[in-house]
Amino acid sequence: MEGITKRFGDVVANDDVDFSVEKGSIHALLGENGSGKTTLMSVLYGLYEKNAGTVSIDGEPREFESPRDAMDAGVGMIHQHFQLVETMTVLQNIVLGREPTEMGLVDTSTARSDIEEICSRYDFHVDQYLDTKVQDLDLGARQRVEIVKSLYRGADILILDEPTAVLTPQEIEDLLDLMEELADAGHSLVFITHKLGEALDAADEVTVLRDGRAIGTVDAAGTTEAELARMMVGREVQFDRPPRDPPEGDFVLNAEGLHVRGSRGLERVTDVDLGVREGEILGIAGVQGNGQTELVEALTGLRDVDSGTVRLNGEDITEANRRHRIDAGIAYIPEDRTTEGLVQDYTLVRNALLGNQTVEPFADGGMIDWSVVNDHAEAIIREYDVQPPDEGAKAKSLSGGNQQKFIVGREIEHDPDVMIASHPTRGVDIGSIEFIHDRLLELRDAGMGILVVSSKLDEIQKLADRIAVMYEGEFMDTVDPETTTEEELGLLMAGHDAGSGHGGGAGDDAPDGGSGRE
Amino acid sequence: MSDDAAGDNRVRNAALVGILVVAVLAATALDLPIVDIVTIGFVERSLQAATPIALTAIGGLYAEKSGVFNIGVEGFMIFGAATAATTMWIISGGSPGQGDVWLAILASVLVSLAFAVVFAVLLIRYEADQIVAGLALWFIGLGFGPFMAVLVWDSRNSPSLEGINDLTVPVLADVPVLGPIFFDTSPLVLFTAVLAVVAWKFLNDTRYGYWIQAAGENPEALDTAGIDVTRVRYAAVIFSGVMAGLGGAVLLAHAGSFTGTGETMVSGRGWIGIVAYLFGNYNPIGAAVAALVFGGLDMLQIQLQTVGIEVPNRLVNLFPYAGVILVLTVWGSTRTPSAVGETYESEE
Amino acid sequence: MLRASVIERLAIATASTALALLIGVTIVAAAGYDPVQFITSMLQGALGGQSAVARTLRFSTLFILTGVAVAVAFRAGVFNIGVQGQFVVGGFMTIMSIVWTAPLLPEGAVGGVGLILIGFVAGAGSGGLYGALPGALKAYADANVIITTIMLNFIATGVVGWLVQNPFRGEGNAAPNTERIPEYVSFPSILFDSSGFSIVGLAIALAVVAVIYVVMERSRFGYDMVTSGHQESAATYSGVDAKRTVVSTMTLSGMVAGIAGAVFAIMIQGYYTDPSGIGTYGFDAIAVSLLAANNPLGIIPAGLLFGGLESAGSHIGIYTDVPVQLIDGVIGLVILFVAVPELFRMAAVRTGLGGEKR
Repeated sequence: MEGITKRFGDVVANDDVDFSVEKGSIHALLGENGSGKTTLMSVLYGLYEKNAGTVSIDGEPREFESPRDAMDAGVGMIHQHFQLVETMTVLQNIVLGREPTEMGLVDTSTARSDIEEICSRYDFHVDQYLDTKVQDLDLGARQRVEIVKSLYRGADILILDEPTAVLTPQEIEDLLDLMEELADAGHSLVFITHKLGEALDAADEVTVLRDGRAIGTVDAAGTTEAELARMMVGREVQFDRPPRDPPEGDFVLNAEGLHVRGSRGLERVTDVDLGVREGEILGIAGVQGNGQTELVEALTGLRDVDSGTVRLNGEDITEANRRHRIDAGIAYIPEDRTTEGLVQDYTLVRNALLGNQTVEPFADGGMIDWSVVNDHAEAIIREYDVQPPDEGAKAKSLSGGNQQKFIVGREIEHDPDVMIASHPTRGVDIGSIEFIHDRLLELRDAGMGILVVSSKLDEIQKLADRIAVMYEGEFMDTVDPETTTEEELGLLMAGHDAGSGHGGGAGDDAPDGGSGRE
Repeated sequence: MSDDAAGDNRVRNAALVGILVVAVLAATALDLPIVDIVTIGFVERSLQAATPIALTAIGGLYAEKSGVFNIGVEGFMIFGAATAATTMWIISGGSPGQGDVWLAILASVLVSLAFAVVFAVLLIRYEADQIVAGLALWFIGLGFGPFMAVLVWDSRNSPSLEGINDLTVPVLADVPVLGPIFFDTSPLVLFTAVLAVVAWKFLNDTRYGYWIQAAGENPEALDTAGIDVTRVRYAAVIFSGVMAGLGGAVLLAHAGSFTGTGETMVSGRGWIGIVAYLFGNYNPIGAAVAALVFGGLDMLQIQLQTVGIEVPNRLVNLFPYAGVILVLTVWGSTRTPSAVGETYESEE
Repeated sequence: MLRASVIERLAIATASTALALLIGVTIVAAAGYDPVQFITSMLQGALGGQSAVARTLRFSTLFILTGVAVAVAFRAGVFNIGVQGQFVVGGFMTIMSIVWTAPLLPEGAVGGVGLILIGFVAGAGSGGLYGALPGALKAYADANVIITTIMLNFIATGVVGWLVQNPFRGEGNAAPNTERIPEYVSFPSILFDSSGFSIVGLAIALAVVAVIYVVMERSRFGYDMVTSGHQESAATYSGVDAKRTVVSTMTLSGMVAGIAGAVFAIMIQGYYTDPSGIGTYGFDAIAVSLLAANNPLGIIPAGLLFGGLESAGSHIGIYTDVPVQLIDGVIGLVILFVAVPELFRMAAVRTGLGGEKR
């Protein structure tokens, strides 16, 4: 791939990227979330049309208009979200669209022997459960099914998008072994990841992407985790972080021994203790999907807890519903502004009321005073620089940054005791990011307790007074951002204990996990 | 998740057994003569009543499996019945015979096919609101079905037409129990029973069956496998329309005359068909069995009368509807295919 | 932005109605009737003379009320197809409550007003309960509201039909009817001297529209409800209890349907009869509401239009050979076209009439 450029509107996701994979090798594509890894591979797989550049396979320039074209050229992609039909069996999934038939019926015995033939070459163990439904398989097995499916379709080049994100350590080990085998058999693999250790373990070569640009390609054998981390994170961006004294205020929000289940009934938050003080920002860092969403929903009253308690200003609010928690003073900037934070078909005026339905002076005795709400919307638009400044505009007509500024404004104007902000700047332009960060810091200085969840390390480092790193539902450690490097945080986020038992030397002098049991 | 599904099925089966046990116990306690109620004649009548519901359910099931909720089946049934009735009358010049019955069913299928194509285009190509459009089709049927009858007979109800004759299969008809139920009854019963098995086999063991399931569960997976999701859905929706139309024609062929007053002779059987396939957990055979349960409820009245239990007709007629509510309440959260109701646009 | 969408909706509603009527006329012509004569009789039936207008307004009153009942639920994203059943139950209970309590109250105007009030409370209450049932089944057992409400329609018709035939049949009645309510329990004839229509009935309908409009637009409850209908996740985020909202939405919708039933019972019937023969107001109301984009104020013109259609229908039923069922079919076509806005958008783009391509 040469000179690949892909733009989404004004955002450049890939900027003149060169990338090549040698036959029979594993090439890791390393970068933080949002650095453009998946976009680049989606261009290769024909999912996105590139704005510039060429894709060549075996030296021949190719144009892929759809995944089908890519597949025909021997490119297979295993997405983070598996392309499997959960209610169908493994065998049915593998042959879907390429079914051998006999007398009108799918010839399962031919299919079975073809699949077994593929499996026998590698250590797949897929053939033992060909008749099991995909929904009954664990994620590691589903992934192997995806790989077999690609091979069944004749893929030579396999792209694996964050294949380890959903796997257990044992499954990861098996996967890396399997990738090795596939490469030895002559397949070429692209391994997309943000985990340094895995990239080094598995790959022959590593290309690092940052902000849509290829920073460099190095030989896995000749590099170290530290070097890769430096390439990934870069050091150009230095945020001003005026030193602060550790906040000494009272705890406003506490959680003790919190256990929360996710939508599928699995425990996603395991024994989490946390405490947020007045005038403090507690940052929760972690790769997405490690229980942060469920934790935040449990704190804001959107999800029941299995056990444990949540306290606001010392009062037990574990049983309080969402409405009571809003009234009690918990403001919440939700993770997903398009489905939760705003009603897309509503004007900004109507959206200004969202969450304020019971709050005077907007609503009194069950009736809404729209002129007050209207003024409120205008005030938010003015003070939080929402563009265009038209309170009659529908939410869906605003850009992401302006939608987010409107939500931030609305939640701050609640005059809450605690602000919970989940990924407050995701998908937001740089100007708005700065703006939102400044507002949150102002609030902190004004004495509010703030919880920020983000998978962006720079954001967490800039904002937080303490950083709790979440991995697989647990707090790995709580560290002091002043003394912790991004690399150390990155390792914690990847589930490493950063070498020494406790926070890689940085956490030792950091405040205690913030359990607030005092 | 898998546990949920399996557990769901266990709960389903356990509840079904539970209901049967309670019914038997209640019958015993009230000293009801079960043997006199559940007779071979009752089963035969129930099967005949179930046939139109089962046909409709199998069609609707295919549409929903492919990701399109066709709630217009009630309307298709009304059109099917009205078309069959008017065709039968017109081609025979007012005195239909057995051949005319079959021709009428055929005509009804063809007309349903034409309507189904239009309906599918509106749903898929023009992204019509599936619920509103489906309701609309019901109302159109409620209007134009009786309209056709009035044009032909100057009345919403037809005079007595020809019903379909029983088919007696030699030898097989003499088999105890099964003989009279399947081989000495309306041939449409046997046809439906065979069709349910074929539909089940087709859905689970042919490539097209795979595609239908994938189109409703994960259309993206099907698309990336190189199959056109839209075409699969067209086929399934058109099939469901034709099946419902056939269901209406069969209803007429069993009844032998058309009723266009009130909610017409279809009277909610299309809706019951939808519940039948939900109850049957999207399995064509299960849907047919569920249809039989509703058919049985429909025919219970005669049985109760024969054993001397006087429950007013008007109320016994409501049993199937009450049964539907009960079924939905107990099994309301059936797992519907993930992508139902979502329009799918390929990346290209 | 907002204005554009209002105009677009208006255009779609007009186009849907026009197209449906056009198809209706085409069918009339194809069936061998004179389309010009058909159109003239329709106009005459709807607007020709005082009694035609009274009849139109009578139907409009019921369509407006039942239309609002549907709109309340649809706005909140709950497909209450059961307005017909709630209408029947409400109307029946209105009559019975008046029949039962009439001996307890003085005769004459005072008693009449009192009984009317009792009738309305009974109608709204029973309609509300009959609506709450499928709401609760949806909220707590996840039973599909469309299907449960349709089944409850059949059950309401069947049970009330049996009740008026047997236990509650008026003494000495040959027909399956309840006892009549007293003569003095009726709306006064003002402006129109027509049996079956009183301007008071229309006024009640308009008052209900106004109340529902205020509830939907100005009350917190309405905001919660409409927000749930638009985007349930956002409603939950803002502290709305989704399950409770479904139940209260269905209750309110059923109450309005019950009021419609009460107006029908007091203004038109004066007794209750087998509901399978009273007309399908609750179904046609779905078309009324959809045509009005589920907006309470839009219900008024849509209800008037449908009142006119129905009135024209009963006229042509009497004075022409064209089967009245045609009107029901046309109403179905209106709903069908309203369901496919994309059809008109594409047509508008093609013909250069404007409209943005999505």
